[in-house]
Amino acid sequence: MAKRSHHRKTNSSRKTNVFLIPLLVGLAVFILGNIFIKPRALCANSATCKTDLSLKIDNNDIGIFAGRKVIPPKIDLAHDITKPSVLGTNAPSGEKHIYINLATQTLYAYQGNTQIMQTPIASGKWGRTPVGNFNIWEKLRSTRMAGGSGADAYDLPNVPNVMYFYNDFGLHGAYWHNNFGHVMSHGCVNMRLIDAEALFSWAEGPASGQPGTPVSVCNEFKPPNLCVQNNPIK
Amino acid sequence: MTTIRYSLGLKTIYLSIAAAAISLFLVIGMKNRQSQSNVVSATPISADAVTPTTTLEVEVIMSQISSDGTKKLNMKTTDNKNNSKTYTFSTSDGSGANEQIVFSKTLDFKRTMSIPYNTWSPDNKYFFIQEHGEEGDSVMVFNALGELFANQEKYLDLTGLFKQSGNKNNFSVATGWAAQNLVIFNTTTQENTKGPSFWFEVPSRAIIQLSTQF
Repeated sequence: MAKRSHHRKTNSSRKTNVFLIPLLVGLAVFILGNIFIKPRALCANSATCKTDLSLKIDNNDIGIFAGRKVIPPKIDLAHDITKPSVLGTNAPSGEKHIYINLATQTLYAYQGNTQIMQTPIASGKWGRTPVGNFNIWEKLRSTRMAGGSGADAYDLPNVPNVMYFYNDFGLHGAYWHNNFGHVMSHGCVNMRLIDAEALFSWAEGPASGQPGTPVSVCNEFKPPNLCVQNNPIK
Repeated sequence: MTTIRYSLGLKTIYLSIAAAAISLFLVIGMKNRQSQSNVVSATPISADAVTPTTTLEVEVIMSQISSDGTKKLNMKTTDNKNNSKTYTFSTSDGSGANEQIVFSKTLDFKRTMSIPYNTWSPDNKYFFIQEHGEEGDSVMVFNALGELFANQEKYLDLTGLFKQSGNKNNFSVATGWAAQNLVIFNTTTQENTKGPSFWFEVPSRAIIQLSTQF
């Protein structure tokens, strides 16, 4: 009798273990997963987002955009040294800040209370431009951007004056289209070449422990001081 | 007895694997949802910003510089005695040097002409201008050097070619260039709702309907 009761107890505790152990394993995986698995990073350029956020000059390469070949501008770093800065040279001192108004596809740059620049841009059409408050984390005179697939595939060498503000989302010049004031990018903020060049020489990247120039991407921007953001990413 | 223990052991292993897989699935799903929802949900907030007082960059209405700053399209308007206006278009270097008249047209007071912001093709080989009137806008595409097109035409009449294509939508606006020889233009339907967008390919004159609207 005692033996039988002992057997019953052993069987029921085994049955409990059948469910308890998996439950504990599941819980452990869930907790460890939360700690170690990082969320998938948002990328503007699916092919180069994680492999090539570096200075890259390919003066002899041909680009591809909208299924058509495009000749990129030649970039000569030696020539850059002789170029004077054209933006905000007489501006009063004060914090620099860049605002993007997605509703009107316009970029504003301020130094203190002074508006330094206002110009049409082209933000994300095939990928959203992230809304939020960022800082320029990297400035590159030139890099390569590639991504998309099928008819949407693109590969663009010598993208000039790149100012990354969130992952590989950046402000930069666009030589392959001229449709500013309208959404046209894969998430970056495209600018006319002359505007991107001027902004690049004016804006600052991180230095001496200080973050780069702040960039606020707004769903709406109402001058003089209202940046409306729908659930900013940062 | 051994069989029971064995089957219980197997059950435990299978269930553990299943539980681990479900947990992993949940974690990955949750993480990805986090990264996406940050972009799309809508809780408006307002952020204080600096107050601008002056604008340093002034846009010149009568001319438009190319994206790279090396070319400029100028429009000179002359008032005539008979209430008409003559519009003269010229190209020049970004500095204004080497000016070359490309086109001139006289219109009565009901019609006007303008240079759009995205007038220049990305490679500066072409530009387009607009004519505005009560019956709608029309767009003319030019060679930047003033050269004639294949059929000895001074310009390509984009809106005329679109009408000739037999498309039932109405031309709305040319927004700019999608590539070095592709003008993007929008249309409206006959019910006056937003219609499809198109590419106009210069110089093949092909009109290509897009699956996306600009």
